[in-house]
Amino acid sequence: MTLAVTAGLLVAGAVYLFLQREMLRVILGFVLLGHAVNLALMAAGGTSRRAAPFGSPEELSAVADPLPQAFVLTAIVIAFSITVFMLVLAVTGREDDTTEDDTTGEVGTGPDRPAGGSDAVPGVGTDPAADGGRR
Amino acid sequence: MLFACLGASLLACVAAPVVTRTVGRAAGWVSALPLLVAATLAVTARVAAPGSAAEARVPWMPTLGVDLALRLDDLALLFALLVLVVGAAVLGYSARYLGRGRHTSFFVLMTAFATAMLLLVLADDLVVLFVAWEATTLCSFLLIARSGPAGREPAVRTLLVTAAGGLALLAAVALIVVRTGTTRISELLTDPVWTRDPAFATTVAVLLAVAAFTKSAQFPFHAWLPDSMVAITPVSAYLHAAAMVKAGVYLLLRFSPAVSDVPTWRLLLVTGGLVTAVIGAVAALRRHDLKELLAYSTMSQLGLLTALIGVGTPAALTAAVVHTVAHALFKSALFMLVGVVDHEAGTRDIRRLRTMRLSMPVTAVATGTAAASMAGVPLLLGFVSKESMFAAFLDTPGPAWVGATVTGVAVVTAVLTFAYSGRIVFGAFAGRTGRVVREAPVTLWAAPVLCALAGLVLGAAPFLLDPLAAGAASVAAGTPVDVHLVLWHGLTLALGMSVLVFVLGSTVVVTRRRVDRVLAPLRATVSGIAVVDGSRAGLVRLGAVVGGWTGTDAPRRHLAVPVVCVTAIALVGVLGGSPLRPVVGDPSLPLDWLLVALVAGGVLAAVRARTRIAAVVVVGVTGFATALWFFALGAVDVALTQLLVEILTVCVMVLLLRRLPVRFAAERVRRRLPAALLAIAAGTATTLGVWAFTGRREMSAASEYFLRQGEQTTGGANVVNTILVDFRAMDTLGELTVLGVAGVAVAALLHARRPVPVRSARLDDRSPLADPMDNTVFVRTVTRVVGPLIVLLSLLLLVRGHQEPGGGFIAALVGGAGFALLYLAAPSDPAARIRWPYLLLIGCGVVVGTGTGLLGYVDGSFLKPLHGEVFGMYLTTALVFDVGVYLAVVGVVLTAFNLLGRQHRVDGPGGAPAPDEVGAR
Repeated sequence: MTLAVTAGLLVAGAVYLFLQREMLRVILGFVLLGHAVNLALMAAGGTSRRAAPFGSPEELSAVADPLPQAFVLTAIVIAFSITVFMLVLAVTGREDDTTEDDTTGEVGTGPDRPAGGSDAVPGVGTDPAADGGRR
Repeated sequence: MLFACLGASLLACVAAPVVTRTVGRAAGWVSALPLLVAATLAVTARVAAPGSAAEARVPWMPTLGVDLALRLDDLALLFALLVLVVGAAVLGYSARYLGRGRHTSFFVLMTAFATAMLLLVLADDLVVLFVAWEATTLCSFLLIARSGPAGREPAVRTLLVTAAGGLALLAAVALIVVRTGTTRISELLTDPVWTRDPAFATTVAVLLAVAAFTKSAQFPFHAWLPDSMVAITPVSAYLHAAAMVKAGVYLLLRFSPAVSDVPTWRLLLVTGGLVTAVIGAVAALRRHDLKELLAYSTMSQLGLLTALIGVGTPAALTAAVVHTVAHALFKSALFMLVGVVDHEAGTRDIRRLRTMRLSMPVTAVATGTAAASMAGVPLLLGFVSKESMFAAFLDTPGPAWVGATVTGVAVVTAVLTFAYSGRIVFGAFAGRTGRVVREAPVTLWAAPVLCALAGLVLGAAPFLLDPLAAGAASVAAGTPVDVHLVLWHGLTLALGMSVLVFVLGSTVVVTRRRVDRVLAPLRATVSGIAVVDGSRAGLVRLGAVVGGWTGTDAPRRHLAVPVVCVTAIALVGVLGGSPLRPVVGDPSLPLDWLLVALVAGGVLAAVRARTRIAAVVVVGVTGFATALWFFALGAVDVALTQLLVEILTVCVMVLLLRRLPVRFAAERVRRRLPAALLAIAAGTATTLGVWAFTGRREMSAASEYFLRQGEQTTGGANVVNTILVDFRAMDTLGELTVLGVAGVAVAALLHARRPVPVRSARLDDRSPLADPMDNTVFVRTVTRVVGPLIVLLSLLLLVRGHQEPGGGFIAALVGGAGFALLYLAAPSDPAARIRWPYLLLIGCGVVVGTGTGLLGYVDGSFLKPLHGEVFGMYLTTALVFDVGVYLAVVGVVLTAFNLLGRQHRVDGPGGAPAPDEVGAR
């Protein structure tokens, strides 16, 4: 039950994040999704046996299932490389990290927006040099 | 023998480019030879195996039971002869019809077409039959399309209609193969399932009928045939007489024994056929272009054939077989003769031909003979086939009115046929004044005259056809049929109808001017071409509409779709789920809730984070919590991996954050709410799913095997590591290749596109921390000590991984963390560059992994680990494999740091101090 709740929390966070505009949030969403899926894979092996699988144990009733562990181990590393790839996509795209959106007139919809527009909400940005000053 | 036959035809196709280069258009004569040889081989093969069918096969896809199986029975022989002999005649004709030049594509396509048709009629395997069917579709498309810009649209229309029929055939093939369990045509036709399962038989019958209707241009799929007239005359002659359209007839005849008792089949074929027959005949009578007239007449004649096959009695099938031969002869002759007229007179329009005097005795007589055969005048094969057609229609099974109606329609068609046959002859040769057109050279008229003559010979002595017609009809009927074709049947009803046709037809011919005036204003309200074009445009519009739904660049739209679908599936599972099995053991411990709380906090903070750096940090929290989870579940290696990946991910993200704005854009609640609702739904679905599937069974057999036998088999105590490098090394090899590809993709992306520039940070220059050298003193000092230790640790982890926690992945990540430390300790970006050939490392990793795999062949199979004692030390190639993993992962980590850490372009001057990023822009 605990693992199921954890996976659910992670998926909820992941879905919320990757439905946002900024590429970085989308990537973070995918990172969370990766955690959730890995935990779900671990769950497939059962969570009642939790002893680390080493050597040739006599009694198997307490030893964790090694197969999902092997799957998850490689999955983590692959997820890492994909994350790096997506991060590169985030910095080779638009300067302000936004993705395309189908609604026009929203804040930060593209490079052709009025010069006064900024991705930071006016008055909230405390660091104008870092946020919009370069433009 | 059968393969030799097919090979001869194929040879003509393969040799065509060379032949055309050497002899130009005379390639027609050269290409005709192999086809005639193939025809001779086919006859020889048939004669060599009297009573049974000649067969030959080579395995093609043995695992699917699909063979390249050929079978030559009388039906196949009849069609093969039509394909080859008429094909040879048309090729010989085109040697003179075409202008001087190479015409390579024409000869290649025509011979390819002949080969495809030959394969179609010889195929004894459904899959082969389907492939050949599609090949004829493609050949006809290309042949029409090569006739210039005017041919494009008709070619596309032809392709659309016939390819749609091909899909119907594919569906039929799939159904038949699944149901009967065999792809052999000769076997599946006699399967009892056809009578046992009427629903199956009906479905297949309809699909086959649709396929044949599209190919044979039957109503409502008839539009393409007259449309395809833009192709040059030899192509039309072949398409209409022996090849393309006859493929549909062949399909109907071939499957007739299996489905002829299906009422829907009969209804479809008889109505579709007769409607086409009348439409085509009326349309033919209205045409002025002789070639167009012939095209409509083809439609009409094929309609009669289809209706005959629909009637399905042995007599009707015999009539269909005989009429197929008659039609092939007179239609190929007429097409080629119209081509001769066109060639000499420069036009084939009746209205213009009327203004010329055609002094072409041979062509005129041959045209008259062929047209008379089409009209059904005695002493010609067309008469014999028409007589048997009437007799067969009269005996249509079912209520009496059916036979009467069918025969009545057939008689009307015959009268119209008579009329348009006369229209051809009188239209072309009736001109008495004006320019005199001389006879064409013998090389041009020889082929059509031979075809017309064959109709005359077979008409005068129809018994010559008896054995072949009987054999073919027997195959189509599924029972032995005795055929005695004679010219004179005695005073029968059929003869009476023939006389009636003769009288009425002559009247129409005599009064053709008046008939013209009546018919001219008649126009079909719906043009078939418009329908095809309309449906095509509609399809394109539909595609645009469907594409519009998803054709957005906004990632969140695409990302939302799978989430919604998965949630919907979960909902279905909850509502209609079957009872779950009981949980084995105790799946939760009290301490787990601490981890849940940690993850919940991390997720909540990640969702609410307003700045990028905060988001990265709190997502890191969930990562560490996940690592703890793995540790709690007894997955030591996994937990270590997760921990290291988390560190490295944060390091990489930090490199990127300086290029991105600090804050996220604020979004309105209206836009946040749907995301939040969807997120909650997806989270609930996940929880339910994982809960429903967790711990409800004992350990799997595979896992039990790994635990019990793993150490003895591999010599490694770390079961997870042995799974990675010994048991499932193939998976791991694939995974490290994916890793490598990701690394290469990162490098390629950064080579091709400049990353966005680094944003300037607002630093207080008076702060003692402002200077990077002073700032990093502590880290640099520590690194000097810790750096080598990390490398050592990394190597230790690599070596001991087989026995204890560690292994290639973990070792490489530790090494990568060491490089990250080196990078972060450096006072500036250029100083931080680690000058290692990262891509080479990735490549070496994959090569080492694959090489170890190849080494496994020493002991039998790819990636099989080899064990051995060297100087008292236990060694295994699995360790070498792990080194490959190590190299690949280190390479990827280095790629990320090297490329993302730099400020200047990747392909910029190496070693030069990084220019200010403003300058780089």
